[in-house]
Amino acid sequence: MDIDVKNLHPLEVKLLRHVSKGEEITGDRIVKELDYKVGQCNQAFSWLSAKECLAETGRTKRVIYELTDLGKDQEKNGMPVERIFTFIKDNGPATMPEIAEALKLEKSDVGSAFGLLSKNGVTKLNEERKAALAKDELPNDVKLQSALLKKAVEKGFLEESELSEEEKSAISQMAKKRGASSSPFKFIEREDVTYALTDKGEEVKKAVLEANITGEEFGVLTPEMLATGAWKNGSFRPYGINAPTSRLIPGRHNAYGDYLQWVKDKLTSLGFEEFDGPLVENEFWNGDALFMPQFHSARDIHDVYYVKDPVHCKEIEEPWLSNVARTHENGGDTGSRGWGYKFDHEFTRRQVLRSQGTVLSAHQLTKAKVPGKYFGVVRCFRYDQVDATHGADFYQTEGIVLGEDVNLRNLLGLLKMFAEEIAGADEVKYVPGYFPFTEPSIEVHIKHPVLGWFELGGAGIFRPEVTKSLGVDVPVLAWGLGIDRMALMHLGLNDLRELFTPNIESVRTRRGN
Amino acid sequence: MPKIDAPEKLFFSLLGKEMTDQELIDIFPVAKAELDGHDVENKVIKIELNDTNRPDLWSPAGVARALFTYESGEIPYYDFFSTKDESKDNEGRVIIDDESAIGIRDFSIGFACRGVEVDDDMLKNLIQSQEKLCFNFGRKRKTIAMGIYRSDLINYPVHYAAVDPDKTKFVPLGMDEELSLREICQKHPKGKEYGYIVSSYDKFPYLYDDKGETLSFPPVINSARIGAVEVGDSEFFIEVSGPILNDLLLAVNILACDLSDMGFEILPVKVFLNQDTPYGREITVPYYFQEPQRAALKTIRKTLGLDLTKDECIAALAKMGVYAVADDEYVYIECPEYRNDFLHEVDVAEDVMIGHGLGEFTPVMPSDFTVGRLSPVEEFSRKVKDIMTGLGFQEMMYNYLGSKREYIDNMHISPDRAVFIANPMSENYEVIRPSILPCLLESESVSGHAVYPHLIFECGKVTIKDENDNSGTHTGNSVGFFASNVSMGYNDAASYIQTLMYFLRKEYSLAAVEDDPRFIPGRAAYVMYKGEKVGIFGETHPQVLESWGCTMPSIMAELDMDILLK
Repeated sequence: MDIDVKNLHPLEVKLLRHVSKGEEITGDRIVKELDYKVGQCNQAFSWLSAKECLAETGRTKRVIYELTDLGKDQEKNGMPVERIFTFIKDNGPATMPEIAEALKLEKSDVGSAFGLLSKNGVTKLNEERKAALAKDELPNDVKLQSALLKKAVEKGFLEESELSEEEKSAISQMAKKRGASSSPFKFIEREDVTYALTDKGEEVKKAVLEANITGEEFGVLTPEMLATGAWKNGSFRPYGINAPTSRLIPGRHNAYGDYLQWVKDKLTSLGFEEFDGPLVENEFWNGDALFMPQFHSARDIHDVYYVKDPVHCKEIEEPWLSNVARTHENGGDTGSRGWGYKFDHEFTRRQVLRSQGTVLSAHQLTKAKVPGKYFGVVRCFRYDQVDATHGADFYQTEGIVLGEDVNLRNLLGLLKMFAEEIAGADEVKYVPGYFPFTEPSIEVHIKHPVLGWFELGGAGIFRPEVTKSLGVDVPVLAWGLGIDRMALMHLGLNDLRELFTPNIESVRTRRGN
Repeated sequence: MPKIDAPEKLFFSLLGKEMTDQELIDIFPVAKAELDGHDVENKVIKIELNDTNRPDLWSPAGVARALFTYESGEIPYYDFFSTKDESKDNEGRVIIDDESAIGIRDFSIGFACRGVEVDDDMLKNLIQSQEKLCFNFGRKRKTIAMGIYRSDLINYPVHYAAVDPDKTKFVPLGMDEELSLREICQKHPKGKEYGYIVSSYDKFPYLYDDKGETLSFPPVINSARIGAVEVGDSEFFIEVSGPILNDLLLAVNILACDLSDMGFEILPVKVFLNQDTPYGREITVPYYFQEPQRAALKTIRKTLGLDLTKDECIAALAKMGVYAVADDEYVYIECPEYRNDFLHEVDVAEDVMIGHGLGEFTPVMPSDFTVGRLSPVEEFSRKVKDIMTGLGFQEMMYNYLGSKREYIDNMHISPDRAVFIANPMSENYEVIRPSILPCLLESESVSGHAVYPHLIFECGKVTIKDENDNSGTHTGNSVGFFASNVSMGYNDAASYIQTLMYFLRKEYSLAAVEDDPRFIPGRAAYVMYKGEKVGIFGETHPQVLESWGCTMPSIMAELDMDILLK
């Protein structure tokens, strides 16, 4: 048997226990005998039919007239026709408005009732144009209707099949079909289905009896039951543990934000201190301080966003400005020969949106401790067509390591650790790279368990032109990691734009691996 | 990053052998190159070059030279270079730079070559070298422009001068009528593209031979006769012009080495310069101008973290095409003719690294102990995020760039305090967000289908103008939240604020908001903290909801985390 009787609803249990094979099972019978409400009875039928414990054996249509609230009122206080008749009989002739006023009836109801009475010769208008009695007896129809109301009170409805032809004609005037305004009866067509207990039903019933399940088990545990101790007097109905769950919408962190937070935690656990800074930078910090010549192609109008107003910052901090300018021109005292061009002091003040995270590393150099490790997960802006692999703004993860004796092999060690700790890489490969601000420069490629080989990031040792101009005399390892690619994989996405989606539903349901 | 096309046949013949794609992928990093693709149908290898300071690598010949040298350890030798001490025979080929060009486009130098009939691949290759050098290294022809001419039609000496742009006329390449230099700037496609480089001067640069025949109007266009090179030609004159002599010399050297590698005989040209230069007033080109460089062995060892011997350094440098000798203290290098990227001794160290083989350097962890620490803003943001999520809010993350319509117009606020971009790529990304609230409203406007209530927030940066700051702007850290539902009002917002501030341990008071078009008048308040306005909250004004196309009542709030952090 594929049915666990413990999962049956009490309505099903009680019905099964009540019926036997070969019996005719109808709604009327169950409602009457088990004291079910019609709705409960229908539910039990529907559940047990679905479980193939009941089988339909026939269905018949019937019509019933249900007494409405208006009908109940008229049964108690009389129909308007009766009340007008009684009023005139008791008080003598009266005008329509007087009657309406006295009986608190609508004028139109008085009018139509008077019309009905006059048609049957019971009332008439006298010479004073008042309604007066012409006959001391109500029309037959009215008496019949009054009798029908009384007859209906007991059960609340009348079966059409139990009415005489005369009664049928009388009740049809009192019951409107759906949609019509209020009337004393409601016309209802009903289909009665007859069921029989199936073999399977019989089997289930047996199992229910054997398991001693009565359908009287406790449902919800209430505070009252606890207060009175009533729970001690029975057992609890077991629930179906696989019932569908309802949706909850919790308050949650953003899944991408969680990932970035995890990266930050990793880096702090590795001894790095976080830095941060403003979104508006100037050419000096965004490029000059990083020893990118002012004519470098990456500093073109088509690569960097310029600020409209103010176009220039007020000043560049000294001694950094003079140091950097000299270094560009002839190397200054950095041991370099410089780029050999005239440094543009106006261009350097031009404001841009930060285009690379390394800008903050440069800022950090002016206040860094030795030894020191610093990092930032910072928003950058690039002049790029927005598509699945380019955002208008995006996060870069960057950092530096200062130390008296740090060198290339330390840089490789650091990158290896990132590859293992942050990217979960199996294999690491280094190739020479190029960045204007580092020498030597390295690219680190990793073999990711899912993505295969890809470039994890770039790194190098800051050029002395960068560090010495900013007052640092020790070597500085600089690195940047392409975190977004791993974030996309972590989140099961393949479009960078999705990381910053405004779509609430999509963010609510997003989760990391 | 420059990308070049290398025809298989040409590339492999320069390399002296054929290589598979995988072999190329493995060897390319020594030239900081990547295999960008292989068009098997057209037999073209696509290469991306990463080093923007190595223009010698931006041609198939350059890449092939680097790879060959790396594998063989043999330094290429070129015999056609003149030096300060020795000038090669120019056989009467001369360029005379006139003083009129000073300040406009000071120099023009060049050389000739002969001996190979160029085929289609070679010609394309020459044009590619010209483009890469002039565009990437020559800053879109501003500092280097290059012309290739049929040398058999030239009567030396060639003259370079600045001339009257209206009186000087010739038939430019690609046209059949004679135009003045000024007309070329206005009518010729190349004139429209590059004319601006010189058109602000009274006189324009002009190159012509001794019989007055036009070679070109640098840096714009060649003449249709001497300047028209075709497949089958075998004698060329190559000229570069620009304001920086060293850049021109390097460009010439690169081209001469490339052509020599392709089998050409290089023919020197003597240039009479129009001013004193570190190399005198007369130089014979190609000219070796690079200075010797030395690097302390100590620096190399300290930088690379490996105790390399001087012989190991010399051998490594040879693989990079760099001739070196050493004593116990220094490595002395001679920069290859086609390179000029040794600015500092660390540049030597890098070449040693690549030449020695990056795989030889085993990774070692740095040994210094340092304390890891999150920034104060990050720590505070995390507290705020935890409280907000506890209140049932979903954390959102948004782009910081958006449109004026979203950040300003839809919010019914003035654009005065917003920071705009001067060169937006599209109006969708033209202003930095001055507040988090429009981002939250954008979410609401696209999320009508999401089950209500909507409770969302973000901790992030906003930027507004601030004349007290050096930049005239201020980037701040904000928390903004937003809630919408059938019944959502001021009291809800006040309760959220109350709870947030309670758990942040921040005492605050409220002050009435007089006039803020984002909120319903009388249903918004400023949050005051230590006498400062730290934020605002209230019921979103229906005019704002209507502008965003939102149909649910809502509340919103924004607090300045920097002030709360103080």
